Amino acid sequence: MPVVELAAVTKAYENKVAVDRLSLSIDAGQMFGLLGPNGAGKTSTIRMMMGITLPDSGRIELFGKPFERESLDRVGYLPEERGLYRKMKVLEQLVFFGRLHGVEAGEARKRAVDWAKRLEIAGSLDKKTEELSKGMQQKIQFIGAILHDPGLIVMDEPFSGLDPVNAALLERTLIELKDGGKAVLFSTHRMDQVEKLCDSICLINNGQAVLAGKVREIKSRYERRHVIVEFEGSAAFLSSDEIAEAKNFSGHAEIRLKEHGDAQKLLHEAADMARIYRFELVEPSLEEIFIQTVGGKANA
Amino acid sequence: MRNMLLIAQREYMEQIRGRSFKISTVAMPLLIGALLGFSSYVGHKATTGKHIAIVANDASLADQVRRQMLDDRYAHYTVDVTAPASGEQRDGLQAEVRTKAIDGVLAIDSSNRQKITATFTSLSVGDVSVYGGLQNALNRGVMNERMIARGMSEADADALLARVSIEALQLDKNGKVGKGNGGATVIKATLMLMLLSIPIMLYGLDMARAIIEEKTSRIFEVMLAVAKPSDLLAGKLLGVGGVGLTQIAIWVTCAAVFMGTQLAAALLTGDIAIRFSWTEAIFFPVYFALGFAFFSAIFSGLAATCETSQDLQKFMWVAIVPLYTSLGLLPVMIKDPNSAWSVAATLFPLTSPYTMVSRMGMTAVPFWQIGVSVILLALATWGILWFSSRLYRVGILMYGKRATLPELVRWLRYS
Repeated sequence: MPVVELAAVTKAYENKVAVDRLSLSIDAGQMFGLLGPNGAGKTSTIRMMMGITLPDSGRIELFGKPFERESLDRVGYLPEERGLYRKMKVLEQLVFFGRLHGVEAGEARKRAVDWAKRLEIAGSLDKKTEELSKGMQQKIQFIGAILHDPGLIVMDEPFSGLDPVNAALLERTLIELKDGGKAVLFSTHRMDQVEKLCDSICLINNGQAVLAGKVREIKSRYERRHVIVEFEGSAAFLSSDEIAEAKNFSGHAEIRLKEHGDAQKLLHEAADMARIYRFELVEPSLEEIFIQTVGGKANA
Repeated sequence: MRNMLLIAQREYMEQIRGRSFKISTVAMPLLIGALLGFSSYVGHKATTGKHIAIVANDASLADQVRRQMLDDRYAHYTVDVTAPASGEQRDGLQAEVRTKAIDGVLAIDSSNRQKITATFTSLSVGDVSVYGGLQNALNRGVMNERMIARGMSEADADALLARVSIEALQLDKNGKVGKGNGGATVIKATLMLMLLSIPIMLYGLDMARAIIEEKTSRIFEVMLAVAKPSDLLAGKLLGVGGVGLTQIAIWVTCAAVFMGTQLAAALLTGDIAIRFSWTEAIFFPVYFALGFAFFSAIFSGLAATCETSQDLQKFMWVAIVPLYTSLGLLPVMIKDPNSAWSVAATLFPLTSPYTMVSRMGMTAVPFWQIGVSVILLALATWGILWFSSRLYRVGILMYGKRATLPELVRWLRYS
């Protein structure tokens, strides 16, 4: 049974269709990436999942049941627009969020302290939110989203605004949650993170799903037209007719072959001109797939 | 329901703990008391202790008028008489008025005994109560003088003109007669209007500002994932309204304790001998709660359409017009608390939260009028909440600019 399922969901504002017959499904223990250029419809999709806005048509199911507000007690949400009560003390704020999700006050307090220790902000629990840095506030909001131990965690751009150390900490935490059986959905522009973290993705553009499925399967669908060459000697082979684009970093070259370019022929040409230490046909990165798929169609 | 109560509890606790609640709880009654006390003191000072010079061509008449003026135990006049007075003496006294050595010159011309005329020269022509006092003293003096001229003794003339005062009595709903006090009624009506209007306005606007701040801080998106917009709005109204009622309860308790002290007995005499009935004590919180809900619902809907506090300033007239209208109607109500205007002001939902309790202090308001007033206010509050919750639902997620009127109409249609 999927934790969340969208079937042909559509949402239009004024004259713009923000989400157009979008379908996706996420299972427990799965990390799901919602990708797309700015204005593609990611936030609109997430807001409908959270019941903040209602779809014009289509079906949304949470935990195997048609959407109902009660199900939101089992969902953790970190919106793109971060917001906390600025004058409230951090611990009080976390307990308040926990109680809103049905956690008893004492238990919410205990969990808040535990999570604060795990995310290295225990020293800030008695401070007012306005006294903390943006990164710290983001961690607090993250804790507020997961304090009630939700089965589904929905995060809109969770890594934006975090420094590399805290981004890595959040990545580790998300993996732990996923391994603990939670379904995690997040939207992002950071393809490296999607590649590293996600089991499945849905790439949307102009409100429509243009690419969806397991990351492995998607990547295997694309022809291996990228070559990495490590060599010594002349780089003249980089002007071969087989090559569409090449970047040479003195002894290390990254090459994109033409649509019908022959890798074997290129290898022969390179071997004639230089000593080859490495010649590897690699699968395209998600970023390349993203650019290739969305290309000039993106609105942003 | 659970989340609405949690939101209300958070709002309540945050505000109660806040410095502004503590300051306003102490400062507001002190400020209102000081304002009323100061205006009463200034008013008293402005009409008492005047130094008046009487110039007349008839010394006997001038003396009679002087006697009547000195007989006014509230005015405390200092009176000089120059009679008969030469032109130079008159000019000299007018010069003293200019230099503020004296407050005014009362010139009595009795050369035609059938038509005595008088003028009063001072630097201010607006002091109605001084004119009233002088007019009274002059007429009584002329009458005394005329009686004496017809052979009556001064004592007989005084006995004939002895003052008769009217004691104001007020009949309550149960037919019980109580002592009425015009001065106290004015002070009490103003006090009640201020004690109701200031917290309603302050807490209503406070709520509007909080909505804008939360909209700016983007907390709404988090909250909307756990609570319905109507629960958010209702929770806020309950919490902030609870803070206002707590403040009123503190004031009422302090006032009740103060009333029982000897200090109050000593201070609250004469024109400020204010007493409150149980009806007023019951309906004061009722009108506060309904008035707060009514105006806060208006402000909340409007605040949800704004981006900044500056945007909200443009809607301040919504708060000010009903308040000024109520203040403007107060003299009308004091003059005749049962006039059509007074009844209308206490039934109309925009002014009834401010005016009804004041009117209750002036007259025995029929119960049906109180009932209609409460029902109309409750219905209007319900209607405004219906509109505002729709504006609120859409507005709190709209960022970027203040909504235009056509956009507001669209929001109402969509939600």
